Amino acid sequence: MNDINRLLIANRGEIAVRIAQTAHKLGIETVGIYSTADQNALHVDTVDVAIYLPGNALSETYLNSEKIIDIAQQNDCDAIHPGYGFLAENSQFAQNVLEAELIWIGPTPEQIALLGDKMLAKKAAIDAGVPTVTSTEVHPGEKPPKFTMPVIVKAAAGGGGRGMRIVEKQGELEDAITSASREAESAFGDGRVFVEPYITHGRHIEVQIIGDAHGNVLHLGERECSIQRRNQKIFEEAPSCGISPKIRKLICDGAVALAKHVQYENAGTVEFLVNDKEEINFLEVNTRLQVEHPVTESITGLDLVELQIRVASGEQLPSSQEEIHFHGHAIEVRLVAENPAQNWMPSIGTIEQFHVGDGVRVDSGIREGSQVTTDYDSLIAKIIAYGSDRQQAIKKLARSLRSTHISGIETNLSMILSVLAEQDYQLANTPISYLQDHPEVLEKEKLIPEDHNALLLGAVFALELQERSNGMVTGFTPSGWRNLRTQGQRQIWESPYGEDHVEYTIGKNNIEVLLGPWPEPQEDGTLSEDNRTKLTVRLLSQSTEQQIVEIDNRRQVIKTVINEETVHTQSRFGTATWSRKPKFTHRESEQFGAGPTSPLPGTVIAVNVSEGQTVEEGDVLVVVEAMKMEHKIIATGTATVTSIHFQPGESVDTGDLLVSLEQGEGS
Amino acid sequence: MVILKYKDSQSNKALERKRMSEASVIQSRIDTTSDDYQQNLAEMQALWDEVQQEMGKVPTIGGQRYVDRHRSRGKMLVRERVEALIDPNTALLELSPLAGWGTQDPIGVGTFNGIGVIEGVECGIAGSDMTVRGGAGNPTTWNKQKRFFQIVRENRLPLILLNESAGADLPRQADIFVYGGEQFRDITQLSKMGIPSICVAFGPNTAGGAYIPGMSDYTVFVKERGTAYLGGPPLVKMAINEDVDEETLGGAEMHSRTSGLSDYLAMDEMDGLRIARQIVRHLEWKKLGPGPTAPPDDPLYDPAELLGCAMANVRIPFDIKEIHARILDGSRFEEFKPLYGEKLVCGWGSICGFPIGILGNNGILFSEEASKGAQFIQLCNKLNIPLLFMHNITGFMVGSKAEQGGIIRNGAKLVNAVSNSTVPHLNLMVGASYGAGNYGMAGKSYNPRFVFTWPNHRIAVMGPEPLAGVMDIIARNAAAGRGQEVDEKALEERRTALEAQIEYESLALFSTGRLWDDGIIHPADTRTVLGLALSAIHSNEIKGATEYGVWRH
Repeated sequence: MNDINRLLIANRGEIAVRIAQTAHKLGIETVGIYSTADQNALHVDTVDVAIYLPGNALSETYLNSEKIIDIAQQNDCDAIHPGYGFLAENSQFAQNVLEAELIWIGPTPEQIALLGDKMLAKKAAIDAGVPTVTSTEVHPGEKPPKFTMPVIVKAAAGGGGRGMRIVEKQGELEDAITSASREAESAFGDGRVFVEPYITHGRHIEVQIIGDAHGNVLHLGERECSIQRRNQKIFEEAPSCGISPKIRKLICDGAVALAKHVQYENAGTVEFLVNDKEEINFLEVNTRLQVEHPVTESITGLDLVELQIRVASGEQLPSSQEEIHFHGHAIEVRLVAENPAQNWMPSIGTIEQFHVGDGVRVDSGIREGSQVTTDYDSLIAKIIAYGSDRQQAIKKLARSLRSTHISGIETNLSMILSVLAEQDYQLANTPISYLQDHPEVLEKEKLIPEDHNALLLGAVFALELQERSNGMVTGFTPSGWRNLRTQGQRQIWESPYGEDHVEYTIGKNNIEVLLGPWPEPQEDGTLSEDNRTKLTVRLLSQSTEQQIVEIDNRRQVIKTVINEETVHTQSRFGTATWSRKPKFTHRESEQFGAGPTSPLPGTVIAVNVSEGQTVEEGDVLVVVEAMKMEHKIIATGTATVTSIHFQPGESVDTGDLLVSLEQGEGS
Repeated sequence: MVILKYKDSQSNKALERKRMSEASVIQSRIDTTSDDYQQNLAEMQALWDEVQQEMGKVPTIGGQRYVDRHRSRGKMLVRERVEALIDPNTALLELSPLAGWGTQDPIGVGTFNGIGVIEGVECGIAGSDMTVRGGAGNPTTWNKQKRFFQIVRENRLPLILLNESAGADLPRQADIFVYGGEQFRDITQLSKMGIPSICVAFGPNTAGGAYIPGMSDYTVFVKERGTAYLGGPPLVKMAINEDVDEETLGGAEMHSRTSGLSDYLAMDEMDGLRIARQIVRHLEWKKLGPGPTAPPDDPLYDPAELLGCAMANVRIPFDIKEIHARILDGSRFEEFKPLYGEKLVCGWGSICGFPIGILGNNGILFSEEASKGAQFIQLCNKLNIPLLFMHNITGFMVGSKAEQGGIIRNGAKLVNAVSNSTVPHLNLMVGASYGAGNYGMAGKSYNPRFVFTWPNHRIAVMGPEPLAGVMDIIARNAAAGRGQEVDEKALEERRTALEAQIEYESLALFSTGRLWDDGIIHPADTRTVLGLALSAIHSNEIKGATEYGVWRH
């Protein structure tokens, strides 16, 4: 038995936090590593001590295998846990760790090398009797054999969708093989490709396995991770409701068989593609802990990181599969810093507010104040809900997410809520094409008017309180008091839901609120009809942290946080960040009316515009030479040139109008 | 944004607590459920409803047609400009909205005057209402403006002028022209005193009116709207035979680029208001008064009950302290000399944290009351505390006993005190204010900083019945002196007519129409209005008198 007293966590973010928490639970001290960008990250606070890795490139920091091993040795570490990603599946690194006489929390280097190669892994799987369709190695440049269409070309060393091509017609196969191989060569340095039947309407089902050094291997059930975007998983659950018990047994037993075949040690995941015709394709083995392991933990009651550590110390697993029990259903969603509505554009910024509703497990590496950059992956947090069945897990997750608020960056939170409410998802009809089949989930979900208005008014009155108590000189009077009233307080508020016009009058017992654009004068001067929604509101409680509003007899508690000019609001039904549109906008007066004038006497040496031309801010209009220097006359905003008053060669005096401009673009 | 508002702020929490525990709190004795109270309440409500109805007419008093036409030109109404100008959620006190009531001129007389908060600073805001007779000023307009400039000067409030006007209503020139020059002198004298004036020109500033922006410290002209010229195109054509268009003659651009009259060119009306706010911001205005120094807790009784506290019929007496109980902080009132001169209630309290000395009538004034009042006023001047005079007074006592007791001599002490007192005075008319009682209580002619009235207020040399009665006696005596028979019917008609005339001339509405006060307020708003008035007062120093006239001892 090799006692582990101190563990080096060779990773960052949420998984580093996660591993540290279990290590501490076991009484093991932790050492962490961090790059410059991560120097105040959550994982650095979580570990007992953290060591700095100077440098900008990953090769200098989290992929710096030599340095990491040095740090482990210099800090009296007994073991290294690689987490996932980075060096977790690097067999050479694992080898180096062992040679440095440190314990590697993971399988052996040989197992990593073997199972890391897709083609070798497939061969081993077939040898072990794992149910799967066959795959055939092919070579670019050669005429490929005939296959039943459709097929998929995959790279042996590949991952993340690179080196992959789906082929519908035999005639396109040769080109697909060539281009896939080229892509694989450039991405992984290994151009080997193979062809397998393409399983349509498949589901991504994976089996969690764990083995010890004594030959015991157990499976911990399957997970379904079908909902993916560009091979990045977003929704994961355990168990899967999309396979029959027969298939379950086949793949779980198969996974164990493969593991035993290679005498697999520590945690790993065997991934399959299964469709409704019960066709099974073995995809690959991940020789590490997976991101979505929490759902397995939820339904088995086991701590996988703990199992990894104990197995690595030489402990024995229970020898019987019957000792593993499965209860209930768990769903995990990945909250990422990407905006699905804008083509999944990555979002960067500082996290302002981060609060997850209760009733769920949250695994996160960020907190309020954390910087989100493009340096590392976009995972903000994993949110896991557990229920006695799938329906209950969905309800708990949705409820918690509805009052989850994150601001400072864009996330896929809204999309997640849309999926949870979507019918096919609820019926567990989730093949891997789910997101393509349901583009509507990408649209930002709208709240019902009552909930929308409650959040809006929460923001309005939160700011009203702050302005009134911020040393307002007449703060002793009732808010917005008038002796001759002609209107209420008119404000325009902006949020992800658009623009809202609000007019409110605070009376003694209640508040009159009108929602909607106020009547504007029409051409003849009369006001347009007032079609606004009228609400009777009572503000039952007003404080710096929350407003309790009763709108037309419907009472809601709105939590509010004011950050400079924006108000974050949160209710049981949704969240939103609001900002009040400034009443006034600063306008450059020089731009309008006449136009730029010459700043001093000189000669026009260049006229860069012509009549009717539209100019933008920063465009050079005219150049005047004076005092042996060239003075560029620049447009200060969008405008149209209406006339030019001087030509090159002509003299100008101070204040002479050079060019006449009219605000805005020409018609 | 935190602004240091008060020059010497003293707030000591421990001292406050001590003050609070030792102060005496007024016990109210009114039964608000009684029939009498409910009856009076209904009558007061009716009086207020009439005032409210009149006020409702003011924003569109010029006529809907002109309001629409104004809007069709893309212009904002004056009160819309004010609402856009002031800080959100702040209070706005409009002064003399019913000026001109009972005259030939439209109520409000085409101007807005008020105190509003801009960038955290209480400012005096004057705005022209172009929809009323094209913005042409009548004599009452000028009087209202004059009063407003006085308020701005005495309380030291930055002056914002939202200006546009066609000038004076020419046919009325005899009542406007000669003294009208004062307004331009006022603006520049304000400037000399350190009170800035910011003029935003939304429309024409014609003839003499061009000197409104001319004399202002800061001028903002709205592009294509604001103009200023001493003579318009027709006059220029007539005078010197020059053909010129408005823009070239006096347009916003011309004044901004060429003549130098305009300091800022605004792109549109909102931009003009934005620039005005920007200017107020850079003033870094500091208030000179000590600010609120007392605990500002609410009265123990509901201010809404104030509507029923004073009597709709001013001949019925009521206990003035019921009003104190509903406007003073914590209903705390430290009465001065309570057992002497009981009909004039004097004492100290605070309103919204601002310390105040209050004189209120619980009957007519005798020698004791007059002496006590004079002493109290002197004490408050020594303490630099503003004074609030709550009027419900029909006059001084008459009769030989009073005269022989020196009522005139003692009354003179009171008048000396109110005349030479230099702390700010506030007037709150909660009932009648007749005759010399008005003077003794430091009425309008004694330059109170602000005068506010309740809808039941009456003001005249004496009540209508006594006045008509006196005239009747005089007529009878005269007839008897000539040895003539009296014509009872004629006398009766004359008496009735005279009563009606005086009644009408003493109404709160009449008074406010004549600018004898700064506005009729709803009694329940009293605390808010007095608080706003005091806050404005504290923009200036509060300094008591050190000398008075010779006392007739």
